[in-house]
Amino acid sequence: MTSTNKDSDLAIVAGLRTPFTKAQGAMRGAAAADLGTHVIRELFDRSGVDPAEVSEVILGCAGPDSREANVARVAALRAGLPESTPALTVMRNCASGLESLVTAQQRLRAGDGDVFVVGGTESMSNFPLLMGPQLVKFFQRLGKARSLGQRLAAIASFRPRALKPRIAIVEGLTDPTTGLMMGNTAENVARKFGITRSDMDDFALRSHQRASAAQQAAVFGDEVVPFVPPPRFDQAVSDDDGIRQGQTIEALQKLRPVFDRKNGDVTVGNSCQVTDGAVAMLCMTAARAKSLGLKPLAMVRGYATVGLSPATMGLGPVHATPPALEQAGITFDELDRIELNEAFAAQVLGCQRAFASADYCRNELGLDDAIGEVDPDKINVHGGAIALGHPIAATGARLVLTLAHQLRRDGLRYGLATLCIGGGQGQAVVLEAA
Amino acid sequence: MTTTPDAMKRDVTTTNPPAAQKERVDCIIGDDGVAMVRLGNADERIVTLTEERLQSLDACLQQLAGDTSLKGVIISGPGPGMFCAGADINLIQSINDRGEGERAAMRGRAVLARMAELTVPVVAAIEGPCLGGGFEVALFCDMRVASQHKSTQIGLPEVKLGIVPGFAGTYNLPRLVGLPTAAELILNGKLLRGKPALKRGLVDRLVPGEKLLAAAREELDKLIATGRKAPRRKLRGMAFWLSRTPLRNLVIRTASKKLSSGQARFYPAPKVALQCCVNAFTLPRDQALAAEARALGDMIVTPQSKGLTHLFFLTERSKRLGKHEDARDCERALVLGGGVMGAGIAGLMAGKGLHVRLCDLDLGALGRAKGRVQKSLDKKRRRRRIERHEAQAVQDRLAVGTDQGNLTRTDLWIEAVVENLELKQRLMADAIERHLPPDATIATNTSSLSVTAMASNVPNPERVVGIHFFNPPEKMPLVEVIRGAKTSDAAVATACRLALRLGKFPVVTADAPGFLVNRCLSPYVNEAARLVLEGTEPEAVDAAMLEFGMPMGPCRLLDEVGFDVAAKVSEVMQEGFADRMLPCELFQAMAKARALGQKSGGGIYGANGKGPGPGRKVIDELRRQRSTPGREASRSELLHRLIYPLVDEAYRCLDSDIVEHEDDLDLGLVMGIGFPPFTGGVTQYARREGLATITAALDALERTHGSRFAVSDGLRRRAAE
Repeated sequence: MTSTNKDSDLAIVAGLRTPFTKAQGAMRGAAAADLGTHVIRELFDRSGVDPAEVSEVILGCAGPDSREANVARVAALRAGLPESTPALTVMRNCASGLESLVTAQQRLRAGDGDVFVVGGTESMSNFPLLMGPQLVKFFQRLGKARSLGQRLAAIASFRPRALKPRIAIVEGLTDPTTGLMMGNTAENVARKFGITRSDMDDFALRSHQRASAAQQAAVFGDEVVPFVPPPRFDQAVSDDDGIRQGQTIEALQKLRPVFDRKNGDVTVGNSCQVTDGAVAMLCMTAARAKSLGLKPLAMVRGYATVGLSPATMGLGPVHATPPALEQAGITFDELDRIELNEAFAAQVLGCQRAFASADYCRNELGLDDAIGEVDPDKINVHGGAIALGHPIAATGARLVLTLAHQLRRDGLRYGLATLCIGGGQGQAVVLEAA
Repeated sequence: MTTTPDAMKRDVTTTNPPAAQKERVDCIIGDDGVAMVRLGNADERIVTLTEERLQSLDACLQQLAGDTSLKGVIISGPGPGMFCAGADINLIQSINDRGEGERAAMRGRAVLARMAELTVPVVAAIEGPCLGGGFEVALFCDMRVASQHKSTQIGLPEVKLGIVPGFAGTYNLPRLVGLPTAAELILNGKLLRGKPALKRGLVDRLVPGEKLLAAAREELDKLIATGRKAPRRKLRGMAFWLSRTPLRNLVIRTASKKLSSGQARFYPAPKVALQCCVNAFTLPRDQALAAEARALGDMIVTPQSKGLTHLFFLTERSKRLGKHEDARDCERALVLGGGVMGAGIAGLMAGKGLHVRLCDLDLGALGRAKGRVQKSLDKKRRRRRIERHEAQAVQDRLAVGTDQGNLTRTDLWIEAVVENLELKQRLMADAIERHLPPDATIATNTSSLSVTAMASNVPNPERVVGIHFFNPPEKMPLVEVIRGAKTSDAAVATACRLALRLGKFPVVTADAPGFLVNRCLSPYVNEAARLVLEGTEPEAVDAAMLEFGMPMGPCRLLDEVGFDVAAKVSEVMQEGFADRMLPCELFQAMAKARALGQKSGGGIYGANGKGPGPGRKVIDELRRQRSTPGREASRSELLHRLIYPLVDEAYRCLDSDIVEHEDDLDLGLVMGIGFPPFTGGVTQYARREGLATITAALDALERTHGSRFAVSDGLRRRAAE
């Protein structure tokens, strides 16, 4: 792909998010639509933009409740957007939140609208337990039974094992084509690049340290809005609660591996947390922003989505970055900041090694040489999902939001937001400060 | 039905051309022998049973009775959204003679009874208000079909006007639905929407509004086909046992007990109505109906009925206050201050469909605000008054935050922060900087500061208006709309319209200390405190006022308001009115001792309002310091010292143009401080009591207690007239 006309680049003019809180924690009563409604309403209350300007609402959500399958539409209506404004829920697993931005960019280039609400919302607290086909069959039979005899026969056909639930969150994090859980794919990456347990734990510690420094410096104050969660609505939640202020390396070292219990190195401590949260951003053409009197935070200069082996899905960012950079017309060295989602410490470290590996880049990507060394002071400078948590579809949008604020705050120019995606994909977006 | 060509219809009422007739019923008989009776013309928005309309209905029914080809009758309102709102209230108010009232009831009932006397079935098709006499029309029909439309409201609210149903409502309804249900509806004047009306058996079928007439016709055809006049009905189960057997004494006893306690004891009509309902099962029909007519005659002349009817007209007048060509409907509001008032106002607005943002620096307060709204929503959910998604929508409309954000799209900005003029001025300036549009209304919920002063630095100060809610905003029915020196009529009307949308009655007042309600309340609570310090027990003071008809005694009221607030307000009042409102030293002393009232775990009364509270020590101490010996005031002294100065202050408000009209005094004090509604308001009470009596008593008090009882010139002049 070649760089396109800059007039059709998307400008991010405003964005905010709920606090990210641990699943089954402070915001467990809020469904994905509740979270999404809140951030969209806040977006318009704070920006003063008339929602009637919006061409489409696009939200990512990986696990919407069955009562609100098109979460974006539900949230948009509840947030007070006009009924005439369409809304779309996108789903690309871990990158769903980033996908919403990419979709908006594509819509804009195609001439389908010029003002978008994008983002992602996820309530991992509300991922359900599912009942298997045995129980479905049982209830069907019972429902159809008419006579007493039929009913008794139906009841007698009940087997307790039919009650064994399927756990949506576990099934969702398992790759059906390889049978691997996400953590196992991270083990694969670790083995491929010789990443040790202590590398992972060091990285996890640094993530917590950076995030807690950022929290204490109120860095997230630009992006977080308090939320009063249902069902009782009696307590405001205003801070991310996954960040452990006094995290020690010893505590991380004590944890047992969870995915490969005998020979593995991936623990809950060096993996991302299971979290609830939502992000919304207002995007439009730069010209439109100007006419509405809004100052953009950042411009989208390039994006790419790629596929790779599901068994090493953690390396997705390495594959997605070169085409995104090419579209933006810049080199890897020109990037001032990188937000690379911390699904697993092993996987982030694996990406760093792969970026710097001439072998990997030649063999797997067909490049002439390594992409480049990743400066540890440029990547995830305010911590990542290991500390903040990874509400699946919200994370991609959070990376963009955090990145856009960083570029503006620190007076920098280019930034990259990228995620690995369960199922073997990678997605990347290049931003330029506006 | 309506598709029948005009030429094939016979118009029964046409001695004159049918169009342009007001207050007439309209009857068209199709060539299939079904008569369509409309209780009014399509251009009548409200249908009441005036003398003229009853006569017209009478003529129509007589004609139908003589029509041998008639197969059935459908009775409906003039059009969608209106059946019949009941008897003409002007007529009710004009009757001052028992016999006249009784005769009016019998006459009306005789007309309605013709429907039952027809040999063919009659079906009522109900959409919109079907109240009082209107419902009594429907009750005489053989079947009732109602529309699901939200305008549908069915019931017998006569007791709210101090009278009883007079057109056989207390006979027909109990026999239709049983004594317990009928008593509950009639004694409380309760109105039901379509679904509960169906459930309670008031109507036989509920259909979408668009299908109303078709469904009524369907039911009529069924009756015609079976050759029956009415479907067979029988009371069943509990309704049967509690109506037709001596077990009904249970119902009577429970109802009587409720009717003789609390505020209910001041109102005779519900008790009489209860007897009428019982008569439906214990007396022969003729005697029961005669007793009902007599009861109506008795009730229609009571001062309670006259007072309540007067109030009814005042509330109707209040509803017209929002009419002004430049008045706006507020859709997006920002409420500043998350305390009890701010949170209550924001919750009220969200409940009535406004998009609200409530802002406070304290996140905890914001959480509590939403929590409070949720509690009341949960309660409504439990009572099945609202659906889950409706409750959710209320919370969705109520955003909270520490940040006001960008106010470009806000059309009403209202503050309810602490009473500090500078702070309020600064916040208004800040709102302008946050892009509040130049035509947005800026409002303050101040209870003691000057609206004019607040507006002094605001560009376009004509849009600054006071909207004074009372505590708690969810419950108190009055809102004072305060017109500052520069406030425009449009801003006043916008504020009134908002108040009405929130289900409140607005009263427009001028910008002066205490406005109307707190100003009139001030001498009242001051004097109550003085009486306590002179030696009367707080319980005795409160009891006297409860007996007068107040919903709450002044001492308890002080506990509810809090002595810190009372002390602060009384300071403002003293500044404004000098010696006349010299605050009683009790306020300051209680505030100092932190015996504030309910909010601090007890004041005069204990926590939760039970037993004596920590404030009694303060009272005892102050009593000891007095040189004169303590003494208990008599009941009449209490009345004279508490109520009469309030009357005088009310007239002072009128004479100093705080309000425009005596009606404002009546409505404002009934809704604002709970002045007994059965009096019809403070001026009605004063006139009945005798202005001369009041001035004489005040003069006597002035001689013994000093100038705070001095009678105003205005009241003296009126007394002399």
